[in-house]
Amino acid sequence: MKITGKENKQWSRLGSRATYGQAILMLAEKLDNLMVLSADLGNSSGLDRFKATYPDKFLNIGIAEQNMIGVAAGLAKEGSVVFASSFAPFITMRAAEQVRMNMGYMDLNIKTVAIGSGVSMSFLGNSHFGLEDAAMMRSIPNMTVVSPADCAEIVKTVFAAAEYPHPMYIRLTGAVGFPVVYEDDYDFQIGKAVEIKNGTDVSIVATGSMVYESLEAAKNLEEVGISVSVLNMHTIKPLDTDALDKLIKKGKTIFTIEEHSITGGLGSAVAEYVSSIPNSPVVNRIGLPDEFVITAEYRYILEKYGLVGIQIANTIKEKIKI
Amino acid sequence: MTNKEKYDQVFIESFSITADQLNENLVYQSVQQWDSIGHMGMVAALEEAFDIMMETDDIIDFGSYNKGVELLAKYNVVI
Amino acid sequence: MNNNELTLLAKKSRVQLLELAFKSDGPSHLGGGLSMVEIFTVLYGNILNYDIKNPEWEKRDRFILSKGHGVLPFFIALHNAGFISQEVLYTYKKNESDLISHPVMNLELGMESSNGSLGHGLSMAVGISLALKKRNNFESRVFVVMGDGECNEGSVWEAGMSAAHFKLDNLIAIVDYNKLQSDGNSEAVMDIGLLEKKWESFGWDVISLDGHDIVALNDALSHRANNMKPKVIVAHTTKGKGVSFMENNNTWHHNRLTQTTFDQAIAELNL
Repeated sequence: MKITGKENKQWSRLGSRATYGQAILMLAEKLDNLMVLSADLGNSSGLDRFKATYPDKFLNIGIAEQNMIGVAAGLAKEGSVVFASSFAPFITMRAAEQVRMNMGYMDLNIKTVAIGSGVSMSFLGNSHFGLEDAAMMRSIPNMTVVSPADCAEIVKTVFAAAEYPHPMYIRLTGAVGFPVVYEDDYDFQIGKAVEIKNGTDVSIVATGSMVYESLEAAKNLEEVGISVSVLNMHTIKPLDTDALDKLIKKGKTIFTIEEHSITGGLGSAVAEYVSSIPNSPVVNRIGLPDEFVITAEYRYILEKYGLVGIQIANTIKEKIKI
Repeated sequence: MTNKEKYDQVFIESFSITADQLNENLVYQSVQQWDSIGHMGMVAALEEAFDIMMETDDIIDFGSYNKGVELLAKYNVVI
Repeated sequence: MNNNELTLLAKKSRVQLLELAFKSDGPSHLGGGLSMVEIFTVLYGNILNYDIKNPEWEKRDRFILSKGHGVLPFFIALHNAGFISQEVLYTYKKNESDLISHPVMNLELGMESSNGSLGHGLSMAVGISLALKKRNNFESRVFVVMGDGECNEGSVWEAGMSAAHFKLDNLIAIVDYNKLQSDGNSEAVMDIGLLEKKWESFGWDVISLDGHDIVALNDALSHRANNMKPKVIVAHTTKGKGVSFMENNNTWHHNRLTQTTFDQAIAELNL
């Protein structure tokens, strides 16, 4: 699925959820056996246009996420490619067992899409935040976990997911005005990290919304002569260990950055792998703390926990003792 | 292009409608493409066409073709 | 408070609610908040036993807002009852505030539990009701407010089944039956069927009433049956009640007031 910088800018204005809605609408033109499910969050998932255009491809299950996953399983078993969306905690926690049995154990072709993951739900608070959703999904065998870095990547992920005959958890971070990372088309493949910058002093592995913030951090670090690599690890499971091997060879401290708890997500996954390689560098995990976080405007929360570009740069400087 | 021509063109292109639909009946959700997504796209196109940045409240209050004319005046855009 | 006083308080509460939402300068769950004004007015104005100076008073009634996004009338009721000062009230939706879009457990401020994810409150209420009976506290009652959309959640029915099984006649649920949910008309999204009959078949005492009728609410909530059955009040309400352009208009499920719409709403309420 090719994208252009211009489209990415337009999608960025609409935001992550609306972009999902646009992507699935485009996908429906090509995929006859597509089914899209929601648990009373169709409008919140940017699906109102999809509902109107393809009513026979849409099912609203009402506020019943466990049932939604079970219903998705039945449809998938009978040959549909199923996308089911809701907020992160409702998919990964409320319906965790249904996810485990149907998507994990039975390896059924369901893609769950978590809208508003991370802390973008701002004043709706911790009940709605996706703090540990990647950790939950990562621990289930047969699950693929992808966290797109910008709206173009959301579109590419949706299209790639449709061709990928395995269960997948797609974690959407960012909100309206999700910053653009990709100004031009690029090659996207599930499981293959994208090397955005190749540097020599510091290695950053980021995912989702933190890819953009890492690039901002890199700009700041480069101003003081620190050369930075930035790897977009959009697929948290399975991890692209070849890409990590390249960073390990550089021998420089690896910083992982995610809008997710430092427990169990990207950072933990990277640390698990890197620590198994002899003479590998230190891995520093940057992310949300092992706490229920404050409630505030989205950006305020990110700043509170040091997750915007300049703060990431400062953390890195401190850690490498500049 | 006059301001009115620019304004009209945004509506015609954003919502795939014709010039004869540009009247007081053209309100939010009165045509299929003027849903929440279409609304954001139309606002973005107007902002680009007139080089302005609309405030959130104005974007929300922008419920009709006519209301839009009224709101744009705040940004010194006279239709 | 008598019924006339409650009616006046409900009117005042609606104005306070809109002012709070407007001043927060962002979207709020206005529709589903306005539908519950009378319910909260009667609960906090006349029914619930509480002591604002002793929020952990053992003999207090417990209240859980399982329909967590209904905070607007809840915060107004807590303010009018004296739990939340005007100053604290206006920290609603300010960065790092205690008052966010869903209740966060804080007994000082009058909030018994944290909510936001739907379908959790009734289970906790069952637990509390059980504990009260075990301790021979036969005065305190446990009240839970849920939404009709919320009744889509299976967990509600697990709790409902257990409440009847445990014969919890100190437990009262109120369903704000406004027939709308996030994606629209509830019957169209996920038809709950005959709500009263469902609760009845689960072993509950059911009272069906107009959720904006203060007299009816007061009567239903005051009465103690002591018949070993939990009670549910199915309150038929209108989402957005009180503001003509919001009533049954689902664009007000979660939306922000502009100066224009705020002025229009207040003008209507002040008539």
